Amino acid sequence: MPSLRSRLEMWCRVAAFGVLGWLLGGSFFTSSNRRIERANTQNVAAHLESWTRAPSTTTLHLDLTAVPETWVVDWLAALRHSNHLVNWSGSPPAVALVTEPVSDPEGGVRIDIAAPTGADVVVRDEGSLIDSARISALGATMLTPIAIGNVTATVGSQRVGATPIDSARLKSVVVIGDAGWEGKFIASALEERGWAVTPHFSVAPNVDVTQGAPLIIDTARVSAVIAIDTSIRSHAAELERFVRSGGGLILAGPSAQSLRALAPGSVGARTRPTVHPADTMRLGTTGFYPVMSLNSGGVPLDRRSDGVVLAARRVGAGRVLQVGYDDSWRWRMAGAPGSERAHREWWSRLVASVAYVPPAAPNSNEGGTAAPLAHMVDRLGPAQAAVNLSGERPPVDRRLLLALILTLLIVEWGSRRLRGLK
Amino acid sequence: MTTEFVFATAQYDSGDWDSAPLLPANIIDTIARYTEITVAPTGAIVPLGDDRMLRYPLIYMTGHLPVRFSDAERRNVKRFVERGGLLFIDDHNHDVDGTFHKTATEEIARTVAPLAELPNNHPLYSAFFKFDGPPTTAHELNGWGDNLVHKHLMAVERNGRIGVLYSSKDYSSEWNYHPDSKRFLSVDNTKFAVNLVVYALTA
Repeated sequence: MPSLRSRLEMWCRVAAFGVLGWLLGGSFFTSSNRRIERANTQNVAAHLESWTRAPSTTTLHLDLTAVPETWVVDWLAALRHSNHLVNWSGSPPAVALVTEPVSDPEGGVRIDIAAPTGADVVVRDEGSLIDSARISALGATMLTPIAIGNVTATVGSQRVGATPIDSARLKSVVVIGDAGWEGKFIASALEERGWAVTPHFSVAPNVDVTQGAPLIIDTARVSAVIAIDTSIRSHAAELERFVRSGGGLILAGPSAQSLRALAPGSVGARTRPTVHPADTMRLGTTGFYPVMSLNSGGVPLDRRSDGVVLAARRVGAGRVLQVGYDDSWRWRMAGAPGSERAHREWWSRLVASVAYVPPAAPNSNEGGTAAPLAHMVDRLGPAQAAVNLSGERPPVDRRLLLALILTLLIVEWGSRRLRGLK
Repeated sequence: MTTEFVFATAQYDSGDWDSAPLLPANIIDTIARYTEITVAPTGAIVPLGDDRMLRYPLIYMTGHLPVRFSDAERRNVKRFVERGGLLFIDDHNHDVDGTFHKTATEEIARTVAPLAELPNNHPLYSAFFKFDGPPTTAHELNGWGDNLVHKHLMAVERNGRIGVLYSSKDYSSEWNYHPDSKRFLSVDNTKFAVNLVVYALTA
């Protein structure tokens, strides 16, 4: 049985060759134990220059409370492509900002913000503060008549930016139906609001009151069509093509009966609505056709005690609204004070909600990234759990290992020599 | 039907508002005869001082006697025009020096705006039938009134649409007969009423 001394010598030899083998292996295979450089939201920008000159085996880790600016993220992504291991941890708020021109002749900008529930959001443009809000659910929407330059939203230390598109390019609105007060006053209301309206009213057999050229319904000329009554059926094929290619359609009163393939729902028997105290309809209210049995994809938007008065549905690339009211003109003419303006704005909003707006080329986004967290995840990957990082060992100095090998071999050799062995 | 067109005649406190009682039925007959417009078989008499007058966006008004609106009538007529209604006033005297003309035009100027000549190429004259201007009536030169052929109608326009249309042509006499008598006419003299209704419903 070998003595304790000889076992120690054996152990030293094995350990020395073991360490030597590990060093040799490390020279052939990349070590997982890279050098780690750390930074946080505040100082990451200052580190970029030195990190760019660091060996490509360096791990760059960010501990973030907010997403750095776009150029910093892009710089880090470039380092990642040059073989640096770049990762990050932390919980920067997921904030996104979208600005869209309102589809309304009077213009305006709609600002949609997504942020964590309970977050306080401050929105401003280059001119001044626009508004602030506390997020209650999925986000917040703000309307502003005009936005000067870039729009930015700030949530805590997180800042997001977007550059609004100047304005929506609106086409005309076609109002089709038999001659009557409803069509006349819808057309009037929209014209007063600034829409270009092309009325097409049937007065007698083969006698239509229209403007200018023959009626052609396509998205090159028309943003939306409003059908007043069942006379729309002669345009059914044309309208289906129009809607599927992105056009907006409003089916008022009984007109949905004639376009069942497009309508959000079927048309119920005409009823007399309950008047709510806040209604400006007072004298004007009469009745409406409730939207019954919604079709696939139909969504009720407005419901009264007598039934659904407003429903919507997407068909192809377009949108269809079904409006139960068939004599909203009474609201405008005989309603309470302010009803004329209310009628005008209500119809304008309906049209704006379905109107086809040609996609505009987005402006260069100088206000920052609209969704910085998504942008960072796209460029750098998802967050890495901090616990994994804390478990990482610092790299071992190879000089120490060489010294250790030398020591082990000297101990083993010295012990053997003292025992008289070679 | 709730969407049908109802021919409404204005009832006002002063004057003889019902001086052409056969006219509404005659015009309703004409509308039904030439168009597909859903029209109520009987007309309505609408007090101008009652808010319910706002339910009738086209109102016909006539008379021989002075017109003096009450405060309620004035307020309603103003709202009516502002909201897009069309008030058609016809001077049953066909006399620009008569009391109806003087008082009615003064009242309209006070309530809405001063009347101005309506050009004879206005869309009103081509809304259904084609006219070169307001059709002449047999009553303009009947020895009564001012004995003039009035070449223009007068109007107050709002947002590019006629809000008040004023006639010295005396259509109230011209159209005031039983519809069955139309068959004795070589040319239907009520055709201009179709233009008036179609214009009101479509413009």
